[in-house]
Parts: sequence; structure tokens; C-alpha cells
Amino acid sequence: MKRIYALEAWCVGCKRCEVACKTFHSRSKDAVTAFLHEQPTPRARVRVEGDLMLSAAVNCRHCDEPKCVEGCISGAMRKDPVTGVVTCDQSKCVGCRTCMSMCPYGCVSVQDAGGRLAAFKCDLCGDGAGTAGEPSCVAACPNRALIYVESEGCEDGR
Amino acid sequence: MAAEKNASTRGATTRPGFEAPGFADYLILGNSAAGVTAAERIRQADPNGSIVIASPEPHAAYGRPLISYLIEGKTSEERIGYKNARFYERLGVTALLGPGFDAVSLDAAAHECAFSGGARIRYGKCLVATGSVPFTPPIEGLAGRANVCTFMTLDDARCACRLAAQARERAAAEGRESHAVVIGAGLIGLKAAEALSSKVDRITVLELAGRILPAVLDDEAAALLQRYLADHRIECRPGVSAQQVLGEGDEATGALLTDGSRIDCDFIVAAVGVRPNTGFVVEAGAEQGRGLVCGPDLQTSLPDVYAAGDVVQVRDALDGSLRPLALWPNAVAQGRIAGAHMAGAANAPTFEGSFAVNAVDFFDASLLTAGIINPSEDSGCEVRVQRDEEAGSYAKLVVRNGALAGYILLNRPERAGVLTSLIASGAPLSQLQGGLEALAEPCNLDFPVEERWTRLHCGYPAGLDRRGWKR
Repeated sequence: MKRIYALEAWCVGCKRCEVACKTFHSRSKDAVTAFLHEQPTPRARVRVEGDLMLSAAVNCRHCDEPKCVEGCISGAMRKDPVTGVVTCDQSKCVGCRTCMSMCPYGCVSVQDAGGRLAAFKCDLCGDGAGTAGEPSCVAACPNRALIYVESEGCEDGR
Repeated sequence: MAAEKNASTRGATTRPGFEAPGFADYLILGNSAAGVTAAERIRQADPNGSIVIASPEPHAAYGRPLISYLIEGKTSEERIGYKNARFYERLGVTALLGPGFDAVSLDAAAHECAFSGGARIRYGKCLVATGSVPFTPPIEGLAGRANVCTFMTLDDARCACRLAAQARERAAAEGRESHAVVIGAGLIGLKAAEALSSKVDRITVLELAGRILPAVLDDEAAALLQRYLADHRIECRPGVSAQQVLGEGDEATGALLTDGSRIDCDFIVAAVGVRPNTGFVVEAGAEQGRGLVCGPDLQTSLPDVYAAGDVVQVRDALDGSLRPLALWPNAVAQGRIAGAHMAGAANAPTFEGSFAVNAVDFFDASLLTAGIINPSEDSGCEVRVQRDEEAGSYAKLVVRNGALAGYILLNRPERAGVLTSLIASGAPLSQLQGGLEALAEPCNLDFPVEERWTRLHCGYPAGLDRRGWKR
């Protein structure tokens, strides 16, 4: 499957990936509306770690054997057997945070999803959630510090 | 073919007149996390072998820990299905679900299992994934009461709901508060209390141990959580349990407690503990310690009989103790491993022990714990505690031999999995940027450059360098 990789060499910590992610996952698809007005607040699923000296945009690795899926008590977290994309069906999620305690990269967060808690994570958005295409964070990166390329298979769920 | 129509909990029983097959290449006893995960893994490795899943519960696999959320209305019976609709059909699994399909005896030599309804099924390989059953030490007057329930299954949840509704109705008629008693302040007891607090006026939770959640909390965090629960009309009474249940006929009306006092109640939830549901396997001759003794391929001491989930005795990877690890992620991981071995999959991984990771929430509070949380004085562990009273958070980190060995995170869940991975890998904390301090805000950039590249670039194309340029 194609995966997103963060390249520290080029990341300047501008967080445009976070803006693009939040905007993509908003109803309005407008950054200002998404940040200031929309309820429930849209959530970015990519997170820039670090500071101006060293930074990287970390998001879900879509592991071959995902710990979040292993731990999910509700069946909401699921790895698509065909595309390999790991997504959370928020209508089934009860917000127990087992996924947060399991993900080795800290790439799942449980937050308010409009009056109830649910897990938020990268859905490798592409043209739509969970579909192939250039994810919005990759498209928004001005420095090619995020690339979206065919991966050569993860051995384990690390 | 499966009698299963969809994976919601409705319509999941076998059709009348349906006859159970007499033989299955793979017979899976138990239809929850371990059982269905094993079935998936078996099917992956063996497209044609016949698979039968048998369980006394007349429901398609559902998220068992979700029953408390169901009562609170945070999910519904339509949404708690663990797998997609038509899971069994799609996988080509015959699902025998209903009271007649409780495994009662196993003949390992003849490769045959007998069920409560009279069916007998011969098998090539058998998986025992029958989970836990409630265990209640004998309390005088508890047995045989109609208004006492346990809190393990969907049917238990329905029963608890019914008892709560009756309690509320009667209390309202009598102009008093409705009151439920939960015996046991473990994860199951407290989740039951949380759920029922939306249905009755008042709940008392009794716990023989000196603190609530004795297995997953320390005294300080337990006291914090206890105060928080009290704000939600759940009164926990650690150090006190029921000595005798009082009542008339089949109805419990109160309890005499170990401290000599007496309380009245409308109904009781018994959640003292669980034990592995392995009686018939042990009778068949399987070796059992605190759970079924299994090899690294999760085969029991009986040939061609495997085990996964709550029934397996696990060696704790951190303290070496032997006990069942009755947790959902463990059941899924073991189901996958057992399934791979049963189907003879190439490179099937072995099971090498594990450690407990618990995630649980109560109202708006989140609690995550892992590994060793109450190290003994002489264990050489270093303990670090961070408190933030304003945020109501409490974080305890246990460090042993320079590596993280456990944590309690109350209301501080962000990136807890990074800490879990540090426990699993045993990586020296000294290599982290910021050392121990980094654990307060764990992030990937704290790892040394090579380590974090490996962590975050699994499957990175060999043809590209670290700048993303073609080599």
C-alpha cells in the first residue's frame, strides 16, 4: 500500500499539514470556518512534533498488524483487507481510549465528536476518507517533507 | 453454511430444524474476540477447511466490554456487533449460537466435543476460546435470588437494566431513592456501577480490598477516582464486603456487611471476579495452572486442542508471574497466533508472554494503566509521580533497570501508547532526548535519530534516501 512518510530533513514545522487535515475533515472545507466557527470542532489527525530546530509531521503508520485494531473493543477500528487503510467508524466507537493506550506512535486521539467521545485518526484521505489519492496533508506540504509513496511492507505492528 | 444472517446481535440464532455438522476441520469453542479472530486467521491460511464456531450465547460476536456503554445509551444493540454484517457467511463459517452449544465435554483422543444440546462434533483441530465466567465466593444468602445478576454478557446487561427499571418504579411508588449494590470494585464492578448510575438514584460499591480497582491502581489514584465517582452518586466502600445477603424468598433486600453495618438495596450486581471457563477441558485431561497451560504455539497439553484469550495462563513479560490475562487485546493477539498455528500457516508467530494494558473511562475521567504499577519496596523500581490538581490528573511512572516498567495515567491519555511501546521494548530511557523528563510528554522525536527513523519509516522504499530523493 501507499503510505505517508515524514522527512525531518525538510520539515520546518509550519503546520500547514495540520491545517489541511483539519480543513479536509471539516464540513465547510474552509480553513477559517473550520478553525473558528464549525461545531463540532473538526480535528487534525496529523500532528507536528518538535520545534523550529527539528520537527516532523507524525501520523498513523497504517500498520500491517495495527495495535489499535487489536485493542479495539467495539469493532470500530478496522484495517481494510484490500486497501490496508486503518479507519475508525465513529458511529461504533465508544471512546474507551484503548487505541490511545496501544498505538506506539501516539497517532490516535479520543476527542469530542459532537456530544460524544470518539477516536480520531488519519484515514489516508486521498479523494475521500479511506480512498486512494494524494492525502491532503501531503498535498499541502510546501517543502515535500511529507511524501506519499508505495511502501515495501511493514513486517510487524511497530 | 452459516445460519447467520448478519453480525448485529439480532437474528443470530440457528434456524429451527438446522442440524449441526458432525465434523469440522476447525472447531472453535467461543464466539468473542479470540474465537472470531482465530477464525479469520485460519481462513486466511486455509481457504477451504471447514470452520465451526460454537457458543451458548445466541448473539453474533459483539464487543463484550460495551455492555456498560449500551446501558448508558452510548451505543446500541445494532452497533455493538464486533464484525461487519454477514461476517460468518463471508468467511464461510458455520456459527452454532445458542444455549444448546455450550461445550460440556471433550474427548481429545477421539477428537470429539459434546455440547449441552446433545450435538457431538468431531474435529481436526479445536480451539478453546470460552473466555471467563463470573466467580463469586460463597456469600450466605446470595445464591438463588432473582434480583442478583452478574455483569459479563449482553444478557446480563439486559437483566441489570430490567432490575434497575423495577427498582426505580418501586422506589418511586414508595417515595424513596432506588439503590443498587455492586459487590466488587474491579473494572467490571465499577463499569456496572457507572452504567447503572444513569438508571437508579444511588449505588454502593463494596470492595474487600483496601482500595477500588485494587489490581490496576495505587492508593492515591484510587482515592482520587473514588472521590470522583462519589460526585456521580456512586459510593465506593473499600475494605468492606458483604458478609450475608438478606432477603425474603428469591428476593434480596439488603446485606449485612463485614464491618457489622447493614444496608438495604433493591438489587445486587455480583462482580467479585472471574475465572477461566475451562472445566470441560480440564476434565478432558488438559494441564491447568491459573489458566490452561499452553506452549508457544498456544496448544494445550492435549494434542490438537489450542487455547486463546481469557482461558490461557500467560507468563507476565514484566514480573514473570503466571496468570490469565483477561483483556480484549490479549484475546485478539492470541486468537491470531492460535489460528495461524492451527491452520499450519507459514511463519506463524509464537506467543511469548505479555503484560496488562488497561483502558477504562468513567463519565469524563479516563484511566490508562499498564505493566507494574505497585512495585514492592525491594524491587529496585524508581517511581515518578506527576500531579495536576487543576486538571485532575495523576501520572505515575514506574522505572526498573533504566527502562519503563509500568504506568498509571489518570486523565492524561495523550500518546500513552508511546509509553506502552517503551514498556514492551524495554528500551533504555537514557537514550531518550530529555531522559525521564520526556515521559511526561512522550513523543516520537524524543527517540534517537536512528530509532525514530526505524519507528516511523516502516516499509520506506529502499530506492529513496532520507531526503526523499532517488538514490
